[in-house]
Amino acid sequence: MTGPESSIIRVVVGLLYPFILLLGFYVIINGHYTPGGGFQGGSILASLFIARYVVFPVEDIDSEILHLAQRFVLSLLLLGPVVLLFTGGVHAHPDYRAAYLTLMDILIGVQVGFGLGVAVLRFAFFKGVGESWRF
Amino acid sequence: MVEVGVLLLMAVFALLAIHSVLLRLAVIYLAIFSLLAAFLYLLHAAPELAIAEGVIGSGLVTLLYLSALKRYRVYTIGFVGGEESRKLTDRYISEVEDSATLARIKDFFQRREFEPQVVFVSRSLEDVLSDPHYDLVISETPHGMIIYGRQDSYAMVELELMFRMQGAGSGIEFVRYAREEAQ
Repeated sequence: MTGPESSIIRVVVGLLYPFILLLGFYVIINGHYTPGGGFQGGSILASLFIARYVVFPVEDIDSEILHLAQRFVLSLLLLGPVVLLFTGGVHAHPDYRAAYLTLMDILIGVQVGFGLGVAVLRFAFFKGVGESWRF
Repeated sequence: MVEVGVLLLMAVFALLAIHSVLLRLAVIYLAIFSLLAAFLYLLHAAPELAIAEGVIGSGLVTLLYLSALKRYRVYTIGFVGGEESRKLTDRYISEVEDSATLARIKDFFQRREFEPQVVFVSRSLEDVLSDPHYDLVISETPHGMIIYGRQDSYAMVELELMFRMQGAGSGIEFVRYAREEAQ
């Protein structure tokens, strides 16, 4: 399906990979102080999935497991405000407000990252219908 | 002042993305467009949106388009110069790039959703013909051009038909070869 890999792209993306990962987590964790947050950080993490596919197109991540994890995190995300916010827990203890926001940011980040990652992996490894014909 | 400049640049890159023939180039123009949009958000004091636009517009979407383009086949055309022009100077290459015949062949593939990529080779013809990386090989002779294609290639049939129907195919010959024999 794909030709030989370009070593320039492989080396550059390999070099940038940990820094993009670090930036993603930074944006998620500092979301309530600085610009950014769960959605933005999650998108940065999801772009890693695609960068990985562009460089190294091997199907070794099971998108079913990723999808399951994403749905689990989504249920936690819905459960969090119900348990912590609507019962008045966070309002009663203002010191824990930052911790609550960080927790929500992390959940949103994982949710968005996994969700976009699943979409991308499904798209990338979609086998298509019918035989591809040679021109 | 800066805003007007950025807006004008955005318009320029949007037009470039629409009018560029090569899809890979259009994707890069779109990425620059998104980056400028992110800068504009920053000027309007919306850093949150700037981060989202920068990450999604120029990162995620660009990579998604590039991975989609991996399926879009690149049609590699090898061009072997004549004996006297083996040295492949810049002048010779631009002369060939501007020639009407090559423009018609490129147009033929672009109409069929393929991305033609012309590679100028300084190796011998037999060497290029046995290389599986080239889908089509064009060799220049003093009388004209010879186009070599695989025996079972549909493109050869249609290319030959196009040149015959539109006329002006003077000095263009078509040679088919079987891959096994060439190796």
